[in-house]
Amino acid sequence: MKKHWWKVLGVLLVLYSFAMGLLTPLKTGILDAQPASVRAGKSVTLLVTGYNSFYTKNPKEIRAWLKMDNERAMAAKNVEVVGDRDLKAIFDLPQFLPVDKKVQDFTLILDSPTDGASVLPSGVFVTQDSIDKTAGEALWQNANISGLHEKAAITFPFRNILGETIRNTYYHVPLWFAMFILFIAATVTSIKYLRKMDPNDDAKAAALTTVGILYGVLGLVTGAIWAKNTWGAYWSFDVKQNMTAVGLLIYCAYFVLRASFEDPEKRARISAVYNIFAFSTLIPLLYVIPKLTDSLHPGAGGNIAFGSQDLDNTMRMVFYPAIIGWTLMGVWMAHLVFRAGRLKRLLLEG
Amino acid sequence: MEIKHLLHKEFTLEWRQKYAISGILLYVLSTVFIVYISFQTVSPQLWNVLFWIIMLFASINAVVKSFVQESGQRQLYYYQLANPVAILLSKMIYNTSLLLLLSVLTFVALGFMAGNPVEQAGRFALALLLGSVGFSITFTFVSAIAAKADNSSTLMAILSFPVVIPILLLLVNLSAHSIGLLQGTMINRDIMMLAAVDLILVALGLVLFPYLWRD
Repeated sequence: MKKHWWKVLGVLLVLYSFAMGLLTPLKTGILDAQPASVRAGKSVTLLVTGYNSFYTKNPKEIRAWLKMDNERAMAAKNVEVVGDRDLKAIFDLPQFLPVDKKVQDFTLILDSPTDGASVLPSGVFVTQDSIDKTAGEALWQNANISGLHEKAAITFPFRNILGETIRNTYYHVPLWFAMFILFIAATVTSIKYLRKMDPNDDAKAAALTTVGILYGVLGLVTGAIWAKNTWGAYWSFDVKQNMTAVGLLIYCAYFVLRASFEDPEKRARISAVYNIFAFSTLIPLLYVIPKLTDSLHPGAGGNIAFGSQDLDNTMRMVFYPAIIGWTLMGVWMAHLVFRAGRLKRLLLEG
Repeated sequence: MEIKHLLHKEFTLEWRQKYAISGILLYVLSTVFIVYISFQTVSPQLWNVLFWIIMLFASINAVVKSFVQESGQRQLYYYQLANPVAILLSKMIYNTSLLLLLSVLTFVALGFMAGNPVEQAGRFALALLLGSVGFSITFTFVSAIAAKADNSSTLMAILSFPVVIPILLLLVNLSAHSIGLLQGTMINRDIMMLAAVDLILVALGLVLFPYLWRD
């Protein structure tokens, strides 16, 4: 048992990431506010649809704001709760807005003692008939957004568009991390083979690459499912998807190369050289080219990486263990592939 | 010094058996002709893509022979005489010059038959240069790997196509810019990227080749 603790740890961490990742509820959010486009100078009633919300619990204490920028926001005149997931927020919009634009977007913010604060970014667009910034500034009644409540429960953040698919962060992303770690390990063992010429190193590198490709395919599939829900199609010819497919092709060619040699020593040497070569082409493919072109993927095409904004501490509690768990499982699988290969070799040698 | 003699050997060999180079030239001309016949009018966008596709296939055909052409025994003899790294370098330099010639020829032929949409000649020439260097480095190294196996020409295609895609994408971008299909200041970054990829591949080739040549 002492020798195998890391296998147990890997399985436990992956199971933990499954359980936590799927069972933890999301924070309260706002799905939709209707009408999304209104005219200035009128009193509007916004029909707000909530997500995971319990508006009926404290209907008197729910407050709503329309936020224009970090300094300016206006408070709702009245908030009427219709049901747990529906409420009406009534705003008196001034005739002029203190801006130079015809159309200004507002972020809808709700706060309730039971659910905490929830946000719909750019949820409402206000169109004004004519622009008068000074009149707008005179008419503006600023309301400070303060005393926001925090929901006292373990939850994942709610993001519009992402919704429940935010949970894929614990499967798609850790699989990629683990794949990368496995490919690095395969490269290191390949370098070791070229220095020491130990046939075991070659078998290890091949096993690590096999599992790495498996993780890569899984990462691609989970990414495609995620893309179906957020970008609208499984495969949208996004540069990140295409380059990933190419990267996996490069690694698949590794096995074609291995299969085309009879002599084990020659096969080991040449596939070690190719493995190092493949890894060094993988980095520009996955991490440099997607950054340079237009892409929908976070962390590519000028988009910010997912982790910098959307990963909160609750998510980190699942995300990092998931990476470690998948990596350990991968190493274990590679170890099994390696041992099966070694037994086959021994049988052949008689 | 070694490289100079080895290069001299490469050019002499090529000059003696002209079938290789003339075969490639004929290949380019006939591909361009087929393209012209089937498309009649070629839009600048199509021109750009076609040019690089013709270049890609012509380059593979031109470079694949660099390690396959000569017999194993003779190669062993070379490795006794010269440093393997020098042999690889001389092959890369020789292939670069061959591909440069090839790209200029493709450009002339395609320009003659389908018109010349290039607006910034200097930038397009840079794309040709970086492209020839990139293709030659990648294909030379991959052909060194593929030559070790029996079914080397299939293996050559399998191994080199995925590897060359990033280079090809950057090249298509760069030449689209020189044709005027793309605007923007990002192009200098593309050039830097291309040069960086070329450099990485050269460095990798030089580091890994000493493990490759021995049999």
